[in-house]
Amino acid sequence: MKLRKNFLIILILTLCLLLSVGTALAKPVTITFWHAMSGSRLGVLESIIESFNAAHPDLEVKPLFTGSYAETLTKYVTAYPTGTAPNIVQVYEVGTQTMIDSDAIIPVYKIPEMLGETWDWAQYVIPITHYYSVDGNLWSMPFNSSTAMLYYNKDIFKAAGLDPNKPPTTWKEMEEYGEKILASGVVDHVYSGGWPDWIFEQTLAYNDHLYADNDNGRTGLAKKVVFNDDFGYMVFDTWVRLHKKGIYIYGGVEYEANSAFNAGQIAMLIQSTSSLAGIIKASKFKVGTSFLPRFEGYPVGNSVIGGGSLWITKGQSDEELRGVWEFLKYLSREDIAIKWHKGTGYFPASSGALKTLLDEGWFSADQTYLTAFLQILAGRRDTAASTGVRLGPFVAMRDLFRAALEKAIAGELSPKDALDEAAEKMNALLKDYAELYGK
Amino acid sequence: MQEDRFPGHKFLPYLLIAPSIAVIIVFLIGPFVQSIRESLFVSTPFGTKTIYVGLRNYVRLFSSPDYRSSVIATFKFSAFVIIGGLSISLAIAQLLNQKIKGVGFYQVALIWTYAISPTVAGVIWASMFAPATGLIPYIVSKLSGGYTLNWMTNGNIALFVVATAATWKMLGYNIIFFLAGLQNVPDEFLEAAQMDGAGSWKAFWRITFPMLSPTTSFLLFVNMLYAFFQVFGLIDIMTRGGPGNATELLVYKLYRDGFIHLNTGFASAQSLVIFLVISVVAIIQLRIVTQKAIYSR
Repeated sequence: MKLRKNFLIILILTLCLLLSVGTALAKPVTITFWHAMSGSRLGVLESIIESFNAAHPDLEVKPLFTGSYAETLTKYVTAYPTGTAPNIVQVYEVGTQTMIDSDAIIPVYKIPEMLGETWDWAQYVIPITHYYSVDGNLWSMPFNSSTAMLYYNKDIFKAAGLDPNKPPTTWKEMEEYGEKILASGVVDHVYSGGWPDWIFEQTLAYNDHLYADNDNGRTGLAKKVVFNDDFGYMVFDTWVRLHKKGIYIYGGVEYEANSAFNAGQIAMLIQSTSSLAGIIKASKFKVGTSFLPRFEGYPVGNSVIGGGSLWITKGQSDEELRGVWEFLKYLSREDIAIKWHKGTGYFPASSGALKTLLDEGWFSADQTYLTAFLQILAGRRDTAASTGVRLGPFVAMRDLFRAALEKAIAGELSPKDALDEAAEKMNALLKDYAELYGK
Repeated sequence: MQEDRFPGHKFLPYLLIAPSIAVIIVFLIGPFVQSIRESLFVSTPFGTKTIYVGLRNYVRLFSSPDYRSSVIATFKFSAFVIIGGLSISLAIAQLLNQKIKGVGFYQVALIWTYAISPTVAGVIWASMFAPATGLIPYIVSKLSGGYTLNWMTNGNIALFVVATAATWKMLGYNIIFFLAGLQNVPDEFLEAAQMDGAGSWKAFWRITFPMLSPTTSFLLFVNMLYAFFQVFGLIDIMTRGGPGNATELLVYKLYRDGFIHLNTGFASAQSLVIFLVISVVAIIQLRIVTQKAIYSR
């Protein structure tokens, strides 16, 4: 007993000694980084940070998982006034306007200048930089960018007598294919999807249709939404009609529908490209990917960037800011961007990484990884409508859209009434936001 | 005149309760006063700008149809959880109080749901009812010849499923207390009733049930708090207030508005309203139920 006690004391003393020697030897600058990456993404992120720390003995990036995107933003908002905000925070694309208006961050385009460096911002994939730019300057660092695309089960297509290399390209075809697949009896429902609010935004942008005024909130704060017009009604009507026919089955808010697709219970899925690696791993059938379906006869736009980007808190010491910048540069390095892409399915943000992936045959080995790139690079990028919408109270507005779709699908309201009701409530939110920011 | 319990130490009692008072002030009264203040303002998420709006947050709250439907959903939900949950628990506890073989096993099996975290419970129920992959929609579809049971698009079903999950989750807790209460009912009373020719049904309602009233009133109170506040985790995991706000209970709406939509003023106003509602209900309950409760010893 006594021996054990002595042993404990010695152990504790040794530990204290070791720790103090450790800190005396190297005092690395600590960079705190709050993020919302869970699941398989977390492992990839952690291994990237480990390799960064190993390569930079004078710097230490400390990642902290702070919950979902929404929770991370909430934590950041409450931490900032008390001076406990991290150096870097990952914010989802819906939080972009909130961060721009926050007065809590340094726009990333200013950082190299502050440190006496220059940086070529054009090396990033253009639609991504467009999304996070204000007046042509990049405000946050592209990190985990995704977009939405169509996933389909080639085996089910074959079983239903369809050509597995001809996925639907229009919503009209979605309906026709849907009827055929239903008639074949292979599955009970044909397609589902995640993020219905985001998919609606995607659908508008993909047909070059504005969501809100002031150029989708990009030339000034959006004052009202403009999606409740003939085109919006048509999109909404189509979805509700397909649901009534049993072709579409509503799949929840985020990734709930993926399991139905992976299990072969639905033939198609409209989902974020960031699900690709997970779907390929979890499914036992041949996965096909293609562009989002379009509405025929309407102008061509582009699919919109989603996911998250990194924002830098203002008021850091020069030492810290230099460390932050080193880390951001490291994340843009070709090999790191490639590792990130392969591990998660998110876009590698730089065009250099894209070329290397192409050269090494990554895309020809698995063509499904190419779809998202071709989709955003083939689309137009010179209109506000195709760049995507930027809104102040975006999170609340998405909730309203989701509620409207759910009400219309349940038959509580007609599609038109549901969409109008949502638009009216959204306009009230936009008015409040404008009042608060005095613009 | 009360006797002096601390002779010669006039301030000692105050000193002794000071830590508790400090905790109450810092963690309860302080935030409470702050929410009253904040409910009169609107502010930017980062607090860079704050505008005094008087009672506007309250006016909007009471004129909002979404808030009204949230109130209705909360009362439906609470009624289901409290009345349904307590009745089932009492019935099960009564069954568990018999002298049967393997009663220990049944007791554990029925009580352990309480030990499951809300997250796990939510995931279990959500996957059981998952529209495309769940077991229950599958059974319903096979039995009815193709009816799609989709709680993600049917508000009534969603509310029912969430309420059932919440009731199930609380069963264990209620059963433990009812069981303890039942075991405190002296056998002599029941035997005497039997001698006088009362059937077991009559004996239950005339003797057991009244003698359980302290337990019942306690559980009523706890279940009410549970239904109002602690179901947050279940809702967040299962429905997030959907479909179409059907399961957006008051406490969940407050969370969405305050912590996700970053609208603190509006959420503070909601928290005060919930506070008032709960206080009123609690006072009524304590007045009526506790006065009627029969304390056996």
